[in-house]
Amino acid sequence: MINILVCDDDKEIVDAIEIYLNQEGYQVHKAYDGEQAIKMLKEQNIHLLIIDIMMPKLDGIRATIKIREYSSIPIIFLSAKSEDTDKILGLNIGADDYVTKPFNPLELVARVKSNLRRYTQLGNLNVENNALFTVGGLCINDDTKEVTVDGENVKLTPIEYNILLLLVKNQGRVFSIDQIYENIWNEEAIGADNTVAVHIRHIREKIEINPKEPKYLKVVWGVGYKIEKQ
Amino acid sequence: MKKLSKVLLHGLQHICLVGGVFALVMALSSSFVYIENREGHVKSYDIITEEPGTDFENSKMFNQLLGNNISDIICYGAIRGQMETNGVFDADKAIDVTAFANRYTGIPSEYITADYYLEDLIKWAQNGFETEEVFMTGKEADTFLSNKKIITKINFENGNYNGGTVSYINSDIEKQKQVVTVSGNVILEDGDSLRDDVNATIMKNRYRTINGKMIEDHVTSWEEYYGLCQMVKKTAEDLNTNYQEYLEYNEYYDKSNSNVVYYIRKTIGKDTEVYSNRDVKSDKLELLKEQLLSECDKFIIYDPENMVYETNTLIEEETLRYILNGYEYAYPSDTQILIGISEEYAVADVFSQAKTGYNGRAPYFIPYLCGAIVALIGYLFLLVVLTKLEGKVKVKSTDEIVIRLNPEDKIPTEAMLILAVIVGVILAFLADFLIFSGRAGRIVGNYGWIILCCVAVLLFSLAFSFFYYSFVRRIKAGTLWKNSFIRKLYCRIEKSALYIYDNAAIVLRVWIPYVAFIVLNIVIIGVGKGIGLLIALILDVFVGIVLYKSAQDRQRILKGIQKINDGDMEHHIDTTGLHGDNLVLANSVNHIGEGIRNAVATSMKDERMKADLITNVSHDIKTPLTSIINYVDLIKRENVENSKVREYIEILDVKSQRLKQLTDDLVEASKISSGNIVLQWEKINLVELLNQTIGEFSEKFEEKKLTPVLRSVKNAMLIEADSRRIWRVIENLFNNIFKYALEGTRVYIDLQEIDFKEGKQVVLSILNISANPIKVNTEELTERFIRGDESRTTEGSGLGLSIAKNLTEVQKGKFDIIIDGDLFKVVLTFPQLEK
Repeated sequence: MINILVCDDDKEIVDAIEIYLNQEGYQVHKAYDGEQAIKMLKEQNIHLLIIDIMMPKLDGIRATIKIREYSSIPIIFLSAKSEDTDKILGLNIGADDYVTKPFNPLELVARVKSNLRRYTQLGNLNVENNALFTVGGLCINDDTKEVTVDGENVKLTPIEYNILLLLVKNQGRVFSIDQIYENIWNEEAIGADNTVAVHIRHIREKIEINPKEPKYLKVVWGVGYKIEKQ
Repeated sequence: MKKLSKVLLHGLQHICLVGGVFALVMALSSSFVYIENREGHVKSYDIITEEPGTDFENSKMFNQLLGNNISDIICYGAIRGQMETNGVFDADKAIDVTAFANRYTGIPSEYITADYYLEDLIKWAQNGFETEEVFMTGKEADTFLSNKKIITKINFENGNYNGGTVSYINSDIEKQKQVVTVSGNVILEDGDSLRDDVNATIMKNRYRTINGKMIEDHVTSWEEYYGLCQMVKKTAEDLNTNYQEYLEYNEYYDKSNSNVVYYIRKTIGKDTEVYSNRDVKSDKLELLKEQLLSECDKFIIYDPENMVYETNTLIEEETLRYILNGYEYAYPSDTQILIGISEEYAVADVFSQAKTGYNGRAPYFIPYLCGAIVALIGYLFLLVVLTKLEGKVKVKSTDEIVIRLNPEDKIPTEAMLILAVIVGVILAFLADFLIFSGRAGRIVGNYGWIILCCVAVLLFSLAFSFFYYSFVRRIKAGTLWKNSFIRKLYCRIEKSALYIYDNAAIVLRVWIPYVAFIVLNIVIIGVGKGIGLLIALILDVFVGIVLYKSAQDRQRILKGIQKINDGDMEHHIDTTGLHGDNLVLANSVNHIGEGIRNAVATSMKDERMKADLITNVSHDIKTPLTSIINYVDLIKRENVENSKVREYIEILDVKSQRLKQLTDDLVEASKISSGNIVLQWEKINLVELLNQTIGEFSEKFEEKKLTPVLRSVKNAMLIEADSRRIWRVIENLFNNIFKYALEGTRVYIDLQEIDFKEGKQVVLSILNISANPIKVNTEELTERFIRGDESRTTEGSGLGLSIAKNLTEVQKGKFDIIIDGDLFKVVLTFPQLEK
């Protein structure tokens, strides 16, 4: 049984999250401020923490800093603060993920799953293999032509697979549409074509939890696409 | 304490100058010895040039004095020959007047003369010669003049003086001449006179000749008469002069008055005469020498006849010979001159005086000079030090050093200058009177004179310090120019001119100076001609400078206005040095600028506050919204039988999603419009961006059967923008199309490159056909919460176009909407980025 601690000063939100997580078979513990959360973390065997930022007594940021002193469990921030600076701050002080309110419950559940997989299965994939390419939770096995995200199999078309492989092989490098086209189709790009863009969107929809805020396959608008180095 | 030491330093400075000048005067006076000579004149003898340590007897001064004495003695010897017989004044000495008168030039072999007693001639000259004009008929003349003339002939047979002329050696001439009486042979046999009647000038015979004759008794013609008169007169006068000198020399070179010992030995024929101021025992040269050397330490023995010249002085033979040549007539070639002097200087004369002076002064010259130099250097040093210190006063409480002015420093500069000049002139006159003219010296004597010098120098030093340090303090305090009449006058004129200028009406301000300027030009040129032209030229140049300065000020204001116009609200026009209209103008511009600045600042502040408010409110909205969305979703998952309830839940779902969208857009829109975003500039390829966007929207467009058509002149159109923000612009526009475009139509996306004045521009136009008629105008579309359709039933916040427009503008682009019927066209223009 996996224990998840949900901490938010808004009781209804905690309850709603509990319902969704219960449906996925997780045991949910509830806290309504930072102090309570820390206390429960010590008492219970918690595997993942969902925590709000703006809370009475002890806010989520300070609670996370304290928790990180002794625990490395996945922590997901759940906050109404949607500024880039807020997200950067949250991730920098030790959170693993950041979900803004109002959130899509399914997305939250997907992120919980993803983080748990990474936490529990971490280290299992350290197989030395030249045909194995990994970026964070994304893993491509070129021998078996299999793609997994946090251990989940993802089904891609051959073109999608080739595009993803190209980008993963060249992590951090930005490819323009023409460059991708020339690499995959092996013919000169005539330009003004959005085929590649459509494929990219399909890949994002398949490997990303939220395609609009992609974690792996990033769009550099007006320049091209890239897989962020992790 | 400090003040006291400063006063002491000043005192020391005065002492230095006075002491320095004193020492200098002493040094200078030490360098000369003043000796009163025979004529009673004081003569200075330079002793600086003497080699240090030289004995008096070897000094130039000694030799100069000795030389003068020798010259005197030789002259004296000549005169003694004329006045004396056997070493005693002989009043009855016979004088041959013609021979005497011609003693320098030589005597002709035959001449007419008269012999007078020495005494008579001297007295005659002293009493003066009287003449009278007498008319004489030829006969009377005959009676007056003699009919026989007496001619004196030189007998060459006995003497050595053969050769045309004969020297006058009076002792010998008597023995050489012969007197002959020759008939005048001028009277005709018939007794008539050949002589004409004449107006004769007759000289009265005060004395007669030795023979009791008168002048006219010796001559037969007027020429001879006048000639002889002339001779008598000249001889008498010369003898009188010589007699005076004789008396003087006689006393001066007397044994009791002079340390000089002399023997002059003359031999004419067989007679030898010796002139001396000592008793002569024998006229033998050897004995005379012996006599001289027994008495004298320094001696000169000159015997030209035997070519002997012996001396232990610095006097050269040449000098002696030269002197002797001057009295050739008095000295035969067989002459010996023996002169000596004893180093004891037993008698008080020039030599004893000179020796005292020489020995007393020569050793002090160098010390005095050194003292003078040291004192004067000290003075200059103190001058520098005190100039540096002058006026500086330490304020006790703050330890600050300030310049303190004395009461006299408040006198206007020019007045002080004039005062200084006056004092200087007075001192100069005083100095001239007291010191340099020498009058004072005669009154108060040498030491008194030196004291006077020192007093004058002290006065000068005091006056100089008074004025000099006053000017030093003024310069240090910066009041030299500030406290001057000229500056005050200048300021007053400037002030009044500016007052008139600033307060006059525009018409007067322009026309009065203009007319005055022209009239002045004409008048000056008309009146002054050439110089007037010059003055007018200077005036015109001055006016030109004033006009130029005014234009320059205006230029400055214009530049300021331009800057404010260009958006530099902080710009402030510097109003220093501005006057009149320019000042008013500059102040007004500054006020306007300040107003704009304040308005902008206020509006920025308001916008920021609004953005903050919206952000905070949206946070507060989001939390309950989260619950709504979550629980709506949870309800949806429940198996709700009632179809109506299911319908309601659907509405709740859509509306809650829209509310979410709305809050996000609201925050973003307020942030953009308040300028609260930071851009990250990148090179963006618009073609790429549009392809990516079309790719992203491909399914949405397919859903509505919209066909995007991208037309680009190039494969790459580069602009500079923030990639996420430019994407947001295009996304909003595409979303707009997806929401409002007529189903089944084409969407044209055109990329063009157009040359504008300001450079190449990339123009992106997105064109679609609206599903509903557009009832609002283009301006309203980009305002917040405005949508093409009035009903707000469809999704969207109404902020999409507003956000797109604002974001475009912050990225230096232009955002235009063109509506033509159902045709909806958005045109974006960005400056093209050169590759």
